[in-house]
Amino acid sequence: MYLLTVATLVAIYAILTLGLNTVTGLAGQISLGHAAFFGVGAYTTAILTVRHGWSFWPALLAAVAASAAVGALVGAAAIRVRDDFLAITTMGVNFVLVSVFLYFPFFGGALGIGGIPGPRLLGQEVAKPGFLALTIGGVVLALAVNLWLGRSWAGLALQALREDEDAARAAAVDVRKFKILAFTIGTGLAGLAGAFYASFLTFISAGDFGFPFSITVLCMLVFGGIGTNRGAVAGAIVLGAAPELFRFLADYRMLTYGALLVLLVRFQPAGLLGDDSAIWRRLRGARAA
Amino acid sequence: MLTAEGEPTMKRFIVAGLMLVATAVPAAAQGPIKIGFFAPLTGFAAADGASAKHSAEIAVEEINGAGGIKGRKIELVVYDDRHDSKEAVAVASKLIEKDQVVGVVSGSYSMPSRVTAPIFAKAGLPVTVAYAVHPDVTKAGPCVFRNGFLGQVEGAAGAESAVKLQKARRIAVLTVDNDFGRVASAAFIERAKKLGAEIHSEQVYKLGEKEFGPYLTKIKDEPIDLIYHTSYYNEGSQIARKARELGIKAALEGTEGIDSPKFLELAGPAAEGVTFTTNLNRDDPRPEVQNFLKRYQAKAGTGADMVGASAYDAVRILARGLETGGTDPKAICAALTGLKDYHGITGKITRFVKGEVTKPVQIQIVKDGKVRSFAVIDNPEVITPPVQ
Amino acid sequence: MIVQQLVNGLTVGSLYALMALGLTMVYGVLRVLHVAHAAVFTLGAYGGLWTFTLTGSFWLALLGAMAVAVAAGLAMERWVYWPLLAKPTVATLIASIGVFVGLEEVYRLVAGPEPHAFRVTLRINDVRIAGVLVTAPQVLVIAVTVALLAALWLFLTRTSLGLALRAVSQDREIAAACAMNVRRIVSLNFALGSALAGAAGMLVGVYYNSVSPTMGDVTAYKGLAIIVLGGLGSVPGTVVGALLIGILETAFIGFVEFPFPRDAWAFLAMIVVFLLRPQGLLGR
Repeated sequence: MYLLTVATLVAIYAILTLGLNTVTGLAGQISLGHAAFFGVGAYTTAILTVRHGWSFWPALLAAVAASAAVGALVGAAAIRVRDDFLAITTMGVNFVLVSVFLYFPFFGGALGIGGIPGPRLLGQEVAKPGFLALTIGGVVLALAVNLWLGRSWAGLALQALREDEDAARAAAVDVRKFKILAFTIGTGLAGLAGAFYASFLTFISAGDFGFPFSITVLCMLVFGGIGTNRGAVAGAIVLGAAPELFRFLADYRMLTYGALLVLLVRFQPAGLLGDDSAIWRRLRGARAA
Repeated sequence: MLTAEGEPTMKRFIVAGLMLVATAVPAAAQGPIKIGFFAPLTGFAAADGASAKHSAEIAVEEINGAGGIKGRKIELVVYDDRHDSKEAVAVASKLIEKDQVVGVVSGSYSMPSRVTAPIFAKAGLPVTVAYAVHPDVTKAGPCVFRNGFLGQVEGAAGAESAVKLQKARRIAVLTVDNDFGRVASAAFIERAKKLGAEIHSEQVYKLGEKEFGPYLTKIKDEPIDLIYHTSYYNEGSQIARKARELGIKAALEGTEGIDSPKFLELAGPAAEGVTFTTNLNRDDPRPEVQNFLKRYQAKAGTGADMVGASAYDAVRILARGLETGGTDPKAICAALTGLKDYHGITGKITRFVKGEVTKPVQIQIVKDGKVRSFAVIDNPEVITPPVQ
Repeated sequence: MIVQQLVNGLTVGSLYALMALGLTMVYGVLRVLHVAHAAVFTLGAYGGLWTFTLTGSFWLALLGAMAVAVAAGLAMERWVYWPLLAKPTVATLIASIGVFVGLEEVYRLVAGPEPHAFRVTLRINDVRIAGVLVTAPQVLVIAVTVALLAALWLFLTRTSLGLALRAVSQDREIAAACAMNVRRIVSLNFALGSALAGAAGMLVGVYYNSVSPTMGDVTAYKGLAIIVLGGLGSVPGTVVGALLIGILETAFIGFVEFPFPRDAWAFLAMIVVFLLRPQGLLGR
């Protein structure tokens, strides 16, 4: 049960990192507010199931739709800006949304929302192993979405955006549409993770979705290898499970994250499994040989 | 094992062997009794976490030093919840599955306690909660027992002290925007109005606020007798300092959130005369209280606070359950449900009703730089927790 | 009452301004979001506290705070930012966040998570003008801020080094083409900005009698919003933006009674300005 708990949390992190990869890795848009959309999904699920008696499944769909919608709005606003401006804006969105969650009683205010029910299948409450299977299904879905996106015409356009936004613009690639698309999909995935999270913990409060968590997710993605799906999953697994495995390091955890980020960016920006990373190249070389 | 002639017979040897085997199930029967403990050891609440941990350890040392529970020592399995929900959930799973504890003590705030209580309840483990105030914590199941006050009780007691004892007629309220603050302030306002006082205003501020100029300037020139603030020692000390800086003469009353030597340190001379509701009476003459205060000072190097004293009691209450009920979680639960007249250092518990205690509220005051007793609120109307 | 609250707002705004200036100056020359600046701010507070405990002098402590901050800022420039200049902006941003998070943890591990008191007996009195009270601590903050800003202004406009700094801020490549030692100018920028942040850190520590590892958190995020609001790279813009946010926050608490969380106002203002005038209030 303990392993199931950790595995489920790691799976939720993986959905988050994959969603962030869509926005930041695939589309090159720096998002420092991913946790906010995670929160939108979680709160949507919580409010619908606790206050309006919805069952988990339709609430899940609503959660994805809600965070995608908010994401689309942010994406639309992101049109006018690039790079660092966008980073600060997403950070600002994170702060504003958390403040909203904290202040308005509609979101439970300071007391949060508790008693969130779990999913039910065929009249039975889904047990822990079943829930884990569900979240892994979510990860697979996120992977599929990212892969599809990467290989489609939209994906190629996003790649052009990432390489050089001005050139892409000059080549008449509709920059606007693709930014919004990337945001919508990435934040929709965050909403999916949020729905699972709310059900799993049965209690959520505004503090769960703050800027520090956005940083944690970004850290996982960068560590695993930004821009790659395997990196997103790897980062979630390693940094998600590490605290459990290395409890003696607990007091030094954030210090390790900070140092990791700096060292990675400096010496191994491709992270663990990114396209240019030492490990990946070795794996590829081994395969080719 | 010896026969009357003084020689062990084969039969008795076998019986002894079987008895040994029988008591070896469950696995850790002759080893220490494991109880779980979690607190925010890192993060913004680390000071309270450390206080809770030190105090829990003192309790365990005392119990083990006196022979343990029926000869078996208690082992405290300590985890850091970092005041984070996901972390708390992982910790709970660990305690249940890996460490296989027979009971749990929450040395933490409301959020981690709230999110883990249902998990422990589902696993049938008894939980004693040191000081977390959220009402939902005890609603998770019949085996959750809270040592501290409900926010409602504390707020109401604060009103008794402010209006009846300190004769305040016009009161301004400053509320910290979290579950504790909101609940306590609401109860204070309700009771104060009932007692005939006028609430001038209630201002809500964020947790961690340092700049109280705007809030206090608003009431600076008003005829306010007393300012009631739900806060922790960081905000509370800022409120006290700024109020004195602006020349506000009103009395200041706080809650157990400022029951900490840190409040005195950070507020400096502005702490003088501040009262607060809490469960620890430093002037309590009982030897167990004074001993704890001394031992804590020796162990941690600072004075004890509400959080520590509550954690100490929570551990000892669970230990009492172990003494009277044994090591089976269900039996411990039954023992605690039937607990009567338990004298903790944070007050006497007559009994638990739906996991809540009816306990007198201490009003302490800062006098000459030290925390002293001011009053005790034991009006049943005030201190009975509002549970059905 | 309005003027009274204005005083509150200006005091808070002054602290924001001292802190945010470093951010805008670094952005001006390096086009880098120096999130770790907040760690420099906090280090200034600890440095000032430590110096004050040793010497008992407020002014020496202030110098100590600034010196420590300058050292840290220069170290970051040398070992983190300069080597990463060729990489995409996301890299420096991530590295900066990493330094910020890591340093805060170092402060926690070394000094402990609890706040330390920073008690300084002020030998100035409250000031009362036409019924408005400016308390002694407020006088201190405003006076020191005005002094530092005046010094900065004189430096930037009256000295050749200051002009060089502004040139590099406008266009690094052309400045380099004009044979200016760009590297040295960049370092100078870091030094100045860090010195101001260090002073801000210590002032905040004294003003609130509290120095803690996470005291830079909110100011970090707010500082970023402020420099965008004022216009990235614009020194006067940042000062105006900072004062504006200080007044805005105070006004919403003092008058509007709409207790939307205080810290969100800076971001809301930033987002609004963004949509209407992306270059900020006084940006180019």
